[in-house]
Amino acid sequence: MFITLEPSLDVAPAPPLAPGDRRPGDRDAAAGTPPTPVWAKAGPGGRAGRTASDKASAPAKRLWARRVVPYLYVLPATALLLTWSYKPLVETFQLSAYDWNLLPTSPKTFVGLENFVEAVTLPEVGRALTNTLVYIAALAVFSLVLPLVIGLAAQQVRGRWKTFYQALIFVPFLLTPVATSAVWRWLWADEGGLIPLALRALGLEVGAVFRDPQLAIVAIIVAVGWQLLGFGVLVVSAGMAGISPDYAAAAALDGAGWGRITARVTLPLLSPTLVFLGLMTVLLAAPWTFSLLDMITKGGPVDSTTNIYYILYQFGFQSFDAGLSAALGVIFFIGFGLVALVFVEATERLSFYDD
Amino acid sequence: MGTIEVKGLTRAFKDTIAVDQIDLTIDHGELVVLLGPSGCGKTTLLRMIAGILEPTGGAICLDGRDITALPAKRRDIAMVFQSYALYPHLSVYKNLAFPLGVRRLPKAEVDRRVREVAASLEIDALLDRKPKQLSGGQRQRVAVGRALVRDPQAFLMDEPLSNLDATLRTQTRQELVHLHQRLGATFVYVTHDQVEAMTMATQIVVLNQGRIEQAGPPSQVYDSPASVFVAGFVGSPAMNLMPARVVGRDGFVELVGEDFTAPLWPGQTDPLEVTFGVRPEHLRLLDGPAGADVEFHLVVDAVENLGHEEAVYGRAEGARVCLRRPRDGAATPRGLSRVGLDRRHLHIFDRASGRRLEWVPDAPNQAEPTPPPPQHALAGVG
Repeated sequence: MFITLEPSLDVAPAPPLAPGDRRPGDRDAAAGTPPTPVWAKAGPGGRAGRTASDKASAPAKRLWARRVVPYLYVLPATALLLTWSYKPLVETFQLSAYDWNLLPTSPKTFVGLENFVEAVTLPEVGRALTNTLVYIAALAVFSLVLPLVIGLAAQQVRGRWKTFYQALIFVPFLLTPVATSAVWRWLWADEGGLIPLALRALGLEVGAVFRDPQLAIVAIIVAVGWQLLGFGVLVVSAGMAGISPDYAAAAALDGAGWGRITARVTLPLLSPTLVFLGLMTVLLAAPWTFSLLDMITKGGPVDSTTNIYYILYQFGFQSFDAGLSAALGVIFFIGFGLVALVFVEATERLSFYDD
Repeated sequence: MGTIEVKGLTRAFKDTIAVDQIDLTIDHGELVVLLGPSGCGKTTLLRMIAGILEPTGGAICLDGRDITALPAKRRDIAMVFQSYALYPHLSVYKNLAFPLGVRRLPKAEVDRRVREVAASLEIDALLDRKPKQLSGGQRQRVAVGRALVRDPQAFLMDEPLSNLDATLRTQTRQELVHLHQRLGATFVYVTHDQVEAMTMATQIVVLNQGRIEQAGPPSQVYDSPASVFVAGFVGSPAMNLMPARVVGRDGFVELVGEDFTAPLWPGQTDPLEVTFGVRPEHLRLLDGPAGADVEFHLVVDAVENLGHEEAVYGRAEGARVCLRRPRDGAATPRGLSRVGLDRRHLHIFDRASGRRLEWVPDAPNQAEPTPPPPQHALAGVG
């Protein structure tokens, strides 16, 4: 005779039940009590000794904690962001529709879009915009092109000196811009400045650089570029460290030389890093140059070194035209927002998750 | 052709020697497995053959030509990496075409070879995908395909199956063996998995601490391990190794253990401290009147049912012992049992050096019996 074997969840055969005895896990439907764990019968002082009210309030407390605690964690950051970023942002949008001279006692006059019309027609704004584009293009050499060249060259350097060189290049980025501005002013000074002296030795007469509308912007770019170089090199070498050396080894075994490995493997894998540096340069070229402009040239001579942030600052806090300044701020906010969106999208497309 | 010769190859890192003066000849068409625990230098050796790690001493020859100073790109050797190293920004097609594009082959020829290799590895449906859209097994095939497509002198593989699950690993193992047979090319394969080594290799090279412990066909490595290290590393469960002494007494060479004395061969020898070994499948329980050449006692701790057989674990005097036997319905052993083995299954190693000792019967006309010569010479590969 065949008997069918039923799959059984019980691993060990259960002993027969005595009347009144319950197996752990059996529900007593009539009493409606939850199943008692076996160890609860251990004796007084065990979990069985807890009162019913304890059981009722503990889950409620836990639920409250689970709901509320996460928000407590993000509260400080949220509060700071709201106070220092989003509240001023909203106020800037409001302010751009008013005429106001920043004096708390003087009235704000609603002028609609007048500030925006003025902002886009003022010739100074046009010059500031052109200068900003020049800054972006020129600083990209220091924050993007040179770091890439240095990073690729540094691949050949091995050992502990590599870190030392990287640190050496990065140090300028840590210096206070106001302090470096002072030093650069001395370096470029027409009487006894090191750079004019050196150029004179080469037969080049530069004169008072910061009073020359053509040369002032060059001097600013050199000073800011020197600070940015370390930042760029650090980001590029971090990006390169994130690329598994197996790819280069595999490409070498596939027959590729250094040039081809760089062009076909290293650069494509580094492209998200380069896009990030590009975005940084576009967004931050104006803020990075700001402190030098304020310390040395005040945007001059004849607006030849000014940038969009500096002109915005001048309109707001030197001409006390809060409305015009706010309108410019709104325009730049939207413009840079669009640029950032394009770059973020590009980064997403270029990312190759290395797993 | 693809004969790889390695002479005195050494690689020293700051304060360790990863590969220590290795001499090895890999004949054309062999599938040589470099086997050893992690840190034994097998990957370092492979990377030096590939040319992506410079040796600090010694030479590498390919078909008699010294390639030690040749950069990796001019060696005509392909490698499959443990990480596969598929270019993440290129499609499968472009990954496969990469080595051919470097060689400036005409487009039509590149296309023909990529599609041929893709078809042979059954990845032709995946050609437009990026590596991150592939499963582990598919990536592994693409990595093999990229090595295959250029028809190199030799293939190097660095633990190519370690990222696959158990089922896929067994299947891929067989596919790689087929591939090797079809191509007839030289394969050098690195693994720490002795099952992979036993099943795939035509020659196994067991490495330990940067040196070759033994080189030979799998059957030789398994049947006559050249050292205690090889005996303990190859085989699962591992060979039982126990301390004993070899003595000559009354014209017989005897093995003297903690609780037994067994005459082995007629002859004479000086007393010698040894380690004797026996594989779990060669040890049998003696529950009847029949005896064995060497017998000792065992206290059984546990019996594992493996389905097709059972493994008995226990303690003998001086060592833990494992025994495998068919599940023939016999009573499960418990407590103190007597176990034994035949003389032909006995492995004897010199305790001091760890090297294998082979008994050479005394010549009948010889007046003075000679002690067994320790077998230090390694069988060269090929």
